[in-house]
Amino acid sequence: MNSNVSLKDFLTPTWLLIAVGLVVGGAVGIHEMFIGHWFATNSSLVWTLPLVTYIFLALMSTGVSLVLAYGLIMHDETITRHTRALLIMAIGMLLGAFTALATELGSLLNMVWILLSPNPSSPIWWMGTLYSIELVLLIVKLIMDLRGRHGVFDLPLAWGTLIVAGAAAITIGAVFGTVIGRPDYHGAFLSVVTLVSALVSGAAAIVLLRPQSALTETAGRVFRQTALMFAALVLIRVVYEAHSSVVGMLGWASVWMLVPFVLALLLLQFAPRVLALVGILGVLWVQYSFIITGQLVSLGQTAHWYGAVQSYQPNIPEALILVLGIAVAAALIKLGEQYLMSNQRQDAT
Amino acid sequence: MGYGMVIDQQLCVGCAACTIACKIENNTPVGFNWCDKITRTSGKFPAVRYEYISTMCNHCENAPCVAGCPTQAMYKDASTGLTLHDPKKCIGCKACIVNCPYGVISFNWERPHQSWTENNRLAEGCFSPREMVEESGGEGSPHGNPERGTTYPVVRARGTVEKCTFCDHRLAKGLAPACVDACPSGARQFGDIDDPSSEVSRLIAKHGGKGLREELGTRPRVIYIRDYKPQRRFEPARPAGENQGA
Ligand code: SF4
Ligand code: SF4
Repeated sequence: MNSNVSLKDFLTPTWLLIAVGLVVGGAVGIHEMFIGHWFATNSSLVWTLPLVTYIFLALMSTGVSLVLAYGLIMHDETITRHTRALLIMAIGMLLGAFTALATELGSLLNMVWILLSPNPSSPIWWMGTLYSIELVLLIVKLIMDLRGRHGVFDLPLAWGTLIVAGAAAITIGAVFGTVIGRPDYHGAFLSVVTLVSALVSGAAAIVLLRPQSALTETAGRVFRQTALMFAALVLIRVVYEAHSSVVGMLGWASVWMLVPFVLALLLLQFAPRVLALVGILGVLWVQYSFIITGQLVSLGQTAHWYGAVQSYQPNIPEALILVLGIAVAAALIKLGEQYLMSNQRQDAT
Repeated sequence: MGYGMVIDQQLCVGCAACTIACKIENNTPVGFNWCDKITRTSGKFPAVRYEYISTMCNHCENAPCVAGCPTQAMYKDASTGLTLHDPKKCIGCKACIVNCPYGVISFNWERPHQSWTENNRLAEGCFSPREMVEESGGEGSPHGNPERGTTYPVVRARGTVEKCTFCDHRLAKGLAPACVDACPSGARQFGDIDDPSSEVSRLIAKHGGKGLREELGTRPRVIYIRDYKPQRRFEPARPAGENQGA
């Protein structure tokens, strides 16, 4: 623990931005949880930008965990030297995701029923369970790292993280892919999309937030390879949608979605952090598009209330939940860096 | 045992008495209809066809809302086959809404019947909304039906979902759902769809019939029989004087 941190360390533009995000986003979150309803939702379009925020941050955290687990299993020193920093990143992002989710769930106090009355046939139950295990694993690893305890448990923990994080990312896709009767949500394809998007955004986040040359090179390589895969997935979807005659399918993919990933592939070495950010925004765009589009066709009687096909634009409170999720993640990562990384080597290697 | 409903499209006149009866019986908030409708217009003038399809929870045998609910708040009742909801267990994740292919579940984003808590009178000598509730002794609103409260909260909690229960509180007393009793043309029949000798099973055996979106494999228990044909409007669906209900 670094005891040299002073108030001055918090008087920076980054902390100012984080504080604004926490206060403004937090106010919206508290209002939504306990007072009234501001989100642009209705009984037909129920999962909007706040849920997208949860998925975006949870998958990014998964990606960071997967890259770290890969490094630990393969003994890749360019990654393992940054174990603590990557653990802090993954934990911060996951807690940011949970914060956004909390504003979205209707009855937080009933969460105890996830444990008391579990339903293993529900992908949401699996998602909640796997991400809770993932959080515990990350915290255990961080505590072990802080105490300097390395040894026999390192490898099993790394494998555990790899399996749980991979399964969690796949399960998020299954939350949508197992839905019947909504053509834009159908199939195992969405699990592949969520798993690959976790890798792309996680690797990009490492490039963005840990600009050390050796790590940037390794994470950049993962980013480029997975961005290529992701672009291929989007392209497959574009072609599929162009030929699909499925009734009620609107289609969520567009060729424009390829641009961020193609740019990252071609130009990453020239401006790694900028293109990492572009890649992250590209992933957010794809996730937003498929999650929202799947709900735009009103089913059954709801067509009378909301029209056969709805349109959706996030409103300001919803956008502020995105800000809140990112601010929570950023605050935790900064705190972790300031308090827990003093005795860590963070030099460029 | 599995309760189900048969709706005779030949007899349904599209009056929406079922919708109103449900609203009153179940004290649903403004903007929610547990019992509602799909309308379809097809064809070209003069051969135009208009269909009015009364809708509600289909109490699917293979209910995707139940499969997707993480806490078993949405569940199948083993003794009646009904798809029911336990608001105490509901975390408000809305997975049931996304999973139900029929759009029959509503979410309480706000506290239901909130406007009835207001204390301002429109004019001197009038009741305020809150005073009206107090005067009528209703729960949540002047229309709060206390009988509804025997199996499900009269006023549902903010942050939870709600949907048709086939009036399980009335079934427990041997009554038919409110929509069935309210139907002026006898288009709705209710009973044990698993019992081949029940009226509903006999109607299905006689006329065939289909549930909505059956191709999805949900096995809905609301079955629609006899598309409306003007030429058979004097043909009885069942012998005159036969009773309806559970
Ligand atoms: S109609 Fe919808 S809510 Fe009702 S049982 Fe079927 S899936 Fe569930
Ligand atoms: S909203 Fe409630 S009933 Fe619906 S799936 Fe979630 S916990 Fe179950």
